[in-house]
Amino acid sequence: MDPLQANRNLELIRTLMERTTQYQLLTARAGLAAGCMAGLGALSFLVLDPRNPWQFGAVWGVVFAGSLTATLIGTVLRGRERGERVWSRPARAVLRALTPSLFAALAMTIFFFARGGEEYLWLPGIWMLCYGQGALATAAYAPRPIRSLGVAALLLGGLTLWLGPAWSVLMMGLVFGLGHIGLGVVLLVAERREGAVRLHRSVA
Amino acid sequence: MNTLKRVLADLDTVLHERGRLAIVAVLAAVESLTFTELRDELAMTDGNLSVHLQKLEEKGYVSITKHFVGRRPQTTCRLTPQGRRAFTRYLDLLQAIVHQGRAKAGA
Repeated sequence: MDPLQANRNLELIRTLMERTTQYQLLTARAGLAAGCMAGLGALSFLVLDPRNPWQFGAVWGVVFAGSLTATLIGTVLRGRERGERVWSRPARAVLRALTPSLFAALAMTIFFFARGGEEYLWLPGIWMLCYGQGALATAAYAPRPIRSLGVAALLLGGLTLWLGPAWSVLMMGLVFGLGHIGLGVVLLVAERREGAVRLHRSVA
Repeated sequence: MNTLKRVLADLDTVLHERGRLAIVAVLAAVESLTFTELRDELAMTDGNLSVHLQKLEEKGYVSITKHFVGRRPQTTCRLTPQGRRAFTRYLDLLQAIVHQGRAKAGA
């Protein structure tokens, strides 16, 4: 066996081990779409009033639903493209890791809206903390950029709570808008690089 | 060159086959996988996977257990400690070959 073949075998082993443990169906397109939606959501408050709970809830609800839909569509398309199952073992592991923080975010959202007044304006900081915690909970299965975004969301979530409700919309745009766009760009670069060296899926 | 020959002579021929190497690499990354998960992960046919698994089991690298989940039979495959050691040794040998090739190219 020559060094080139040995190197190819090492590359194959690394790819197989990573593919078995890592969730790789997250797409750059989904990240970019989620970032754009969050950015537009933040910008919509140039016209809308964040102190109106209906408008605040509706905008971020639409952004969340839209981002979720973009992620689902992106995942299904990527799965088809690669000939991989969407509901795979890593996908189940990622969902299990995300569930507690998603539940916490949902419970806090209901709680703060139910209390009335303008207390819901504290929610962006809490959402960021939950998002960061969820992202880091998937660290064992997720691509590296997700971990970095998780750490950034945790830190900026704390900062958002410290800055107070007046900064909540701007921080939402920054973390979920620019953060996701940044994630999308990093994933796009990684996808292009991977596309250039992709090994044939079948090893049989 | 003699060193390279020695390294090549040490190569585990059971692991060196591409299909079996892929099975061991995937099993090394997890605790265990069912036959179906392994087949889907590697895009192998049932027959091909069975033959490779049998060979790996004979060598003591993989343990295969059959049990029932409800009424459905399920086959679970896992890497044995012996298999893990052989895989690590194989990786070390590959790295040695790559390093020797680099050293030769640099000389």
